[in-house]
Parts: sequence; structure tokens; C-alpha cells
Amino acid sequence: MIIRIETTSDVPIYTQLTNQIIEGIARGDIQYGDSLPSVRAFAADLGVNMHTVNKSYHELEKKGIIKIVPKSGAIISPSKQVTNEMNERIHSEIKPIIAEALVLGVKKEQIQQLIFSIMEEMKER
Amino acid sequence: MAFVVFLIITFFIAVTQIVVPYLVKKTVVFGVTIPEQYINDGTIKKLKKQYAISVALLSIVLLTGYSVWSLTTEPKEEQMAMIGVLMEFGIIFISLSLYIYYHGKVKQLKIQNKWVEHLKQVKVTDLSVRNEDEMLPWYVYLLPIISTLGLMIYTMFNYDILPQQIPTHWGPSGEPDAFTEKTPFSAMQHTFLLLIMQLMFFGVHFATKNSGIKLSASNLAASKNRQLTLRKYSSWFLFFVMLACTILMSFFQLTTIHPEFAAGSVKIILPFAFLIIVLVGSLVFALKVGRSDKGLEGTIEDNIMEVDEDQYWKGGMFYFNKNDPSIFVEKRFGVGWTINFANPIGYLIVLLPLIIILIISML
Repeated sequence: MIIRIETTSDVPIYTQLTNQIIEGIARGDIQYGDSLPSVRAFAADLGVNMHTVNKSYHELEKKGIIKIVPKSGAIISPSKQVTNEMNERIHSEIKPIIAEALVLGVKKEQIQQLIFSIMEEMKER
Repeated sequence: MAFVVFLIITFFIAVTQIVVPYLVKKTVVFGVTIPEQYINDGTIKKLKKQYAISVALLSIVLLTGYSVWSLTTEPKEEQMAMIGVLMEFGIIFISLSLYIYYHGKVKQLKIQNKWVEHLKQVKVTDLSVRNEDEMLPWYVYLLPIISTLGLMIYTMFNYDILPQQIPTHWGPSGEPDAFTEKTPFSAMQHTFLLLIMQLMFFGVHFATKNSGIKLSASNLAASKNRQLTLRKYSSWFLFFVMLACTILMSFFQLTTIHPEFAAGSVKIILPFAFLIIVLVGSLVFALKVGRSDKGLEGTIEDNIMEVDEDQYWKGGMFYFNKNDPSIFVEKRFGVGWTINFANPIGYLIVLLPLIIILIISML
């Protein structure tokens, strides 16, 4: 899977990494049980600080998407069930974006269409 | 003999210096990052050609001068070696000066034409690229080390039959021409040097393995092919040179223990063969790597380019990037690697063994 980082973007590099890895899993480019490269190798290949990659891995772990196993590295293993806590987090993250869209005058149908098309892009899980 | 050796080496140096602009990574011209979209620009092509012709002409002048001088005045071997080394450094100095000159020119050209201003810089990597890395496994490099350890033990057991005078230097005929008193240390000295050199090579392998596989956003296929080729052939070349050094130095150690071991001609041929093998090996290496990213056209998106790292290359030559954990990075002028000066491990791997070798040879 190809990771692309925009160095001049306002979005911090570690967030770009996290988002792309999550998208990769959703699209099926990375399979459950696959392991991510070691922090050192990943950082060296991208030419970024090791802390950046580390931060992204810890964020993914906190979200319950990967497990960091000492010596074997970071393994893709999303949790089996959606907890209330996860639901709440997704709800609170989606809400301001939908509100923003409505305020800007995007129609309800258009928003629904957008969400459907994004979900089409990702593989059914 | 000295004349032929210097002629071959200098000719080799000249040829490599001439073709360097055509063997480096496509998107780096005289140490300046040029976006994929503009690498076929007419002015850039003209500057590369000018450089190659200038170095070629000056090399021809120097080589002809050296040949005429050596053949007409028949100087002593030492004189010939002295002038030969000067000539080699002369060619390196000339090409380096021209490089600095053209580096400045291309830098100006890039600013004048505003080549990077409208382009978005993108860093890219492939999560599975490490699985395609074909470097030799680390334990292969243990074999020559084990052989050296064996040689050390063998020397210890044969200490009694070693001559009272241990050779420390060999002349061009393969006969020793400098000696030192036999002590347990001087008997082992060469095997120590060999071992430290091998450990350095071992360290270089690990440093290379852990260094980044740098892909380019504007031409994924070409950059991947080049990086993987560079890594694969570097590890082969490293092993090859390590093996050749081991054979050469073990041979001299064994002839010290058993003078009857070698017939006269082998002593002359072996160092010469070593030289030829290393030169040919590096030529094959440079060509393999140099051609690995040519002819692979990427699908160039209009508005992106690979990350412009010019700011990390001091003077277009020295890489200094604190954020990059890589110990080695691909050279910008020449084929091969250079160290990341911001990473202290690089200094340790390259400088420490050299210091130890210097200390041992001065003891």
C-alpha cells in the first residue's frame, strides 16, 4: 500500500499517516493480521522523525485499530465489537463536519450521497 | 608496472567522473532537485554535456602528458607513483570544481524558471517495499570473519616457526621490503587489521539495511527500481570486496608463516588481480545502478513533485537531516552512499575502525 504525505499541508504528518493507514484497512489494502513496518524503517523510508511515526502508531493503538506487540511490532487487529465509547467518539467527530456542511448550504441529499459514495469506495467489512 | 597501474586507475577515475551526471538519480542534476516535469529541459541537457566534455578534455591532456613524461624521461618508480597520485587527485579536483560551478548554475536556473513554486511536494512510501529488498542476509558476512578468526588461531599455533623479522610492507614485486621485530603482537598485527576492516564492513551492512528506501512521488516505479537495485548490488559489492580483502591479506599472512607456500609469480599477480577485480566490480555496480531508473517513465501528475531536499544538502554534497533516522543515504553526485552527518552512528561506523586501524599500524 502506498502512503502519501503532503509536507506543506496544515494537517500534521502523524495525522496524515493515521488516516491513510485506517483508509488502507477499510479499503482492504492492508489485511487484518498484517503487521506495519517497524517505526525505524517506516520513518527512514519516509524521511521523517521517528517520533512522528511513533505518535501515529500510538494513536492507532488508542483507537483500538492496531496492537503493539513487543518484538513483533504493530499488528492490524481492530477490536471485535463496537463499544459505546467508540460510537460516541465517531458521533462527536462526524457531527461538526455535517453541521459545517449544512451551514455552508450543502443539501441533505448531497451529504447522504457523499457518505454513500465514500462507503462504496471502501470494501464491505 | 607502476606506469600501467596508474594509467589504468586514472583512466578509470576519469571515465567515472565524466559519466557521473548520466548515472545519478534522474531528478537530481548537479546536486539540485529538479521536478520530473523539467528534467528534459534543453539547458539542463546542455550543461551536463558541457561538464562531460570539459572533464574528458582535461583528462586526456593529463593522461597524455603523464604517458609522454613517463615514456620519454624514464623516471624512477617512486617519482612515477608520486606524479601518478597527483594526477589522480588533479582529475578529482577538476571534476569537483566543475561540479560546484554547475551546481550553482542549475540552482540559479531552478529559481529563475520557478520550477518548484506551483508544485505540491509529496513524500511517499510503499508499506510492502521492505519485503522486496534483496540485500544479502547479514550472516553471509560472518563467513570471512570466521575465516579470519581461524587464521588468527593458526598463527598463534605456528608462532614458533614464524621468522624473527615480520614483514610489514610489500613492494610492487610482491616481495616484503619492510620488517619489524617478532613479538606476539606484530605476528598478529595483520590479522587484527583484517578483522577490524571486516567488522567495519559488517557495520556498514547493518547501517545500509536500516537506512531508508526513498521513493519518489513523481516516479514510483523508477525510484523503487533504483533504490532496490542500489541496495542489492551494494550488498553484493560489499561482500565481494570483503572476500577479496580477506583472500589477499590471508595470503600474505600465510606466506609469512610458510615462505615456500607461494611461487614467485602468484605474489605479483594476486594484488594486481585484486585491483582489477575491484575496479571492474565498481564499474559494473555503477552501471547497474546508474541505468536502473532510466527509461522508466512515470505517470507524471501535473501538480506534484517529490520532496525537494536541497536544504538538507549542504553545498550540494553533505547530507545533514536531523529528522531522518537513516544512517546512509544515496549520493547526489556519484553512485553509492554517503552518510547522514546529523546521525552520530554514521561517524561511529566509518571513523572508529579507521582510527583503530591507524593506531594499530602506528604501534
